[in-house]
Amino acid sequence: MTKYVLKRGIHGLLSVAVVVAIVMIMIYGLMNKELIFAEDPTYTKMNNNRKVNYMYSRWESYGYLHYVPYSDYLSALKKDGTIDEDTRSQAVLLGKTSEFDSELTKEYIEKFTKYYTDKGYTVERRDAVMMGGNKLAEGGQPILFAHKPIPLITRLGNYFSKLITIDNIHNAKNIEGKRGITFTWHDPVYGGKKFSPALIGNGTKHKYLLYFDSHFPFLHQNLITIQLGKSYSINKGVDVADTMVEPQGGYVKSTITYPTGMKEKSADDLHTATYVAGSRKTSRLVRARFTDDYSDTKTIKNQRSRIGFSFTNGILASILAYLIGVPVALLMARKKDKLADKIGTFYIVVIIAVPSLAYIFLVRAIGGALGLPTAYNLEKATAAMYVLPIISLAMPSIGGIMRWLRRYIIDQMNMDYVKFARSEGLSEREIYSKHILKNAAIPIIQGIPGTILFALVGALITERCYVVPGTGGMLVDALNHHDNSVIVGVVLFYAILSVVSYILGDVLMATVDPRISFTTKDR
Amino acid sequence: MNNEFEKYGLSEEELFARVDNRSASSEKITAPRYSYWKSVFRVFFRKKINYFILGLLALVLFMTYVYPLTTAYDPFANISDSTTKHLNPSAAIAKMGFSLHSILGTGAQGQSTFDAIWFGSRISVSLALVCAAINMTLGVAVGCLWGFVKKIDMAMIEVYNIVANIPMVLLVSIMVMIFSASFWSMVFAMCLTEWLFIAYFIRTQVIIIRDREYNLASKCLGTPVSRILTRNVLPFMTSVIVTYLASEIPSYISYEVFLSYIGMGLSEDSLGRIIQKAQSAMITPGWEFEFWAPVAVSAIITVVLYVAGQNLGDAADPRTHM
Repeated sequence: MTKYVLKRGIHGLLSVAVVVAIVMIMIYGLMNKELIFAEDPTYTKMNNNRKVNYMYSRWESYGYLHYVPYSDYLSALKKDGTIDEDTRSQAVLLGKTSEFDSELTKEYIEKFTKYYTDKGYTVERRDAVMMGGNKLAEGGQPILFAHKPIPLITRLGNYFSKLITIDNIHNAKNIEGKRGITFTWHDPVYGGKKFSPALIGNGTKHKYLLYFDSHFPFLHQNLITIQLGKSYSINKGVDVADTMVEPQGGYVKSTITYPTGMKEKSADDLHTATYVAGSRKTSRLVRARFTDDYSDTKTIKNQRSRIGFSFTNGILASILAYLIGVPVALLMARKKDKLADKIGTFYIVVIIAVPSLAYIFLVRAIGGALGLPTAYNLEKATAAMYVLPIISLAMPSIGGIMRWLRRYIIDQMNMDYVKFARSEGLSEREIYSKHILKNAAIPIIQGIPGTILFALVGALITERCYVVPGTGGMLVDALNHHDNSVIVGVVLFYAILSVVSYILGDVLMATVDPRISFTTKDR
Repeated sequence: MNNEFEKYGLSEEELFARVDNRSASSEKITAPRYSYWKSVFRVFFRKKINYFILGLLALVLFMTYVYPLTTAYDPFANISDSTTKHLNPSAAIAKMGFSLHSILGTGAQGQSTFDAIWFGSRISVSLALVCAAINMTLGVAVGCLWGFVKKIDMAMIEVYNIVANIPMVLLVSIMVMIFSASFWSMVFAMCLTEWLFIAYFIRTQVIIIRDREYNLASKCLGTPVSRILTRNVLPFMTSVIVTYLASEIPSYISYEVFLSYIGMGLSEDSLGRIIQKAQSAMITPGWEFEFWAPVAVSAIITVVLYVAGQNLGDAADPRTHM
């Protein structure tokens, strides 16, 4: 069994990699690059060569290509100490066309061209755009730059190599003191007296690598970071994984004792401190609070993260669906072709045929008329605001469970073991709950891990309709804003979840039903 | 004895003729005449409710395809007359007189909601029918081969595992971004991978039937694969296919509505787009009808298509013909 699961897992990971590759081809290769400027006000204001410059620099930040302007090349040379400031400021001046370049500029342009052509770049020069006479048109300065598309293999390699990073003691630059990891029984965040083990690093990106606190799941780590892809346009500079798990809502302030001993009411979470080189030198505020440069902290907020909201809704809805769906399906099968079955079938037909948008809005309208909140409010969170989204989410799942479980039960009803049980004198109730349900539920059980895991993804329409700050709309938002790395990240998340849920479903099915085996040997 | 025959006025020879024992006729098996499609309709119309459903289906199809041809509808005809906008049915009837155009009120541009819905449903239903036709044909053809030819099974399963992991929303929206949001690019986007799911479903069904004794026998007798597929396997699956088709058509309409809702749908005024546009009207007191009318009509269309398809699927199953 372990071997089988391992094999399936590796197989699954491979197909996930292919999915990511296909998605990368689709968004970086097939989609028109210029679409990202569709709603960009800066773009429309720019003209001529400056526009070209702007386009390439944006494309670089969105991850389409590598782009090096000539001036950046010279600045890099100056930083290396190859040339001095005078040479740089002379060489950076381009003539209107290449004929007007000075000797020095020509020399460096040649070097630039050679250096980047050898590396596979295309070097492009745009001559000055004149308005007639000697006057430059707006944004018409001559430009010189090199650009290179990123090949798929490199892109994939980069992406997967950055996916999981393990913090190490050589991460931070210019660290004070000795690099290393220390273990303490008494976490300094709690004053150094309370018993609370923690692993503290010096030289690592995060200060606290492993620690306990009062929030679920109590033991936390900063050792391994998952980077699904940095957002560029929606949540600039923040990784998809962080966007999903970051708490939302208002700050929770409490009295915090900073490492210097200073006490203050603040929402800072000292356990999340990361290294910012030279932060104490530049900021007095930091100097007053911290004794080292681990000074960038996240804040404690009072509401769930995106994934938290989606998961809570999803799980509660699934529980509700099973609680209602299973008994109703049993009833429908037992009263086959009677009134109960007909009502149930009608419900199933409505759920399958009517667009989900329609009944979600219907639930919202009815719920709103009954006085239930129809939108999430992060400031004033109540339990009541979960009611309508959960009902809306549960409705289609109930229909699905009813439809399939009824089918499976009816298929089981004519089996020999049922006739045998009946002839032995078991009551109908016993036959149904002890024998038939157990057999009929096996295909349903296979779907349970999927239900649980896909609650993490959130439901698009429901979350949009009730303004739930969840993960449901992330893919669509990213698509609308051309946030390419977020798209890739969300797709990877989906794909991993689906692979894992398929494997878990099969494992669970094999555990519940001893007749099912996935290894040829056991047969 | 003779007297008895005399009363018929016939001689004995005329009444009795010797029949030879013919070997050919002993091979003949007599059964009541059976015609597949006749039986399908006999079973279908055995349930009286099916007359009603078929009537509704005819009405829906008539309104979707014939009504728009007979009506001149211009959504911007009343755009400059602000008194015609956002009217509920009673106000619209009072203003414009009782007619089909006014029974569902008017929308944000003073257009008749009733006309808008049927012009929109023509686009949505056509989209669903075209997609279903393409996907079903491709899916069933590929699925049959996939189930029958063991060599391609492994490769196809791999392709399926990969494609199933690409979110449909992503695929459709990228296709729409590449090719613009027109009817045919939407068809292309919805057909790009959907047939693979149908093929997978058919494959499973084929594998179940493939190794039945009658197919093995047929194979032993040297029947080519193509004939086994079309004569032995496909007829057996008619009911499954029709049932699948019945849930497929409403799902395309739902999907079109969903895509419009998230802003990735058609640029034409389809049902989904009408619903999406009327969303703001739903939260405005007094204008709710503008939203509920298209929602209700789309629900009716999909339910009718689904139920008609389901019942036809039941009737198409030869096992119910006895």
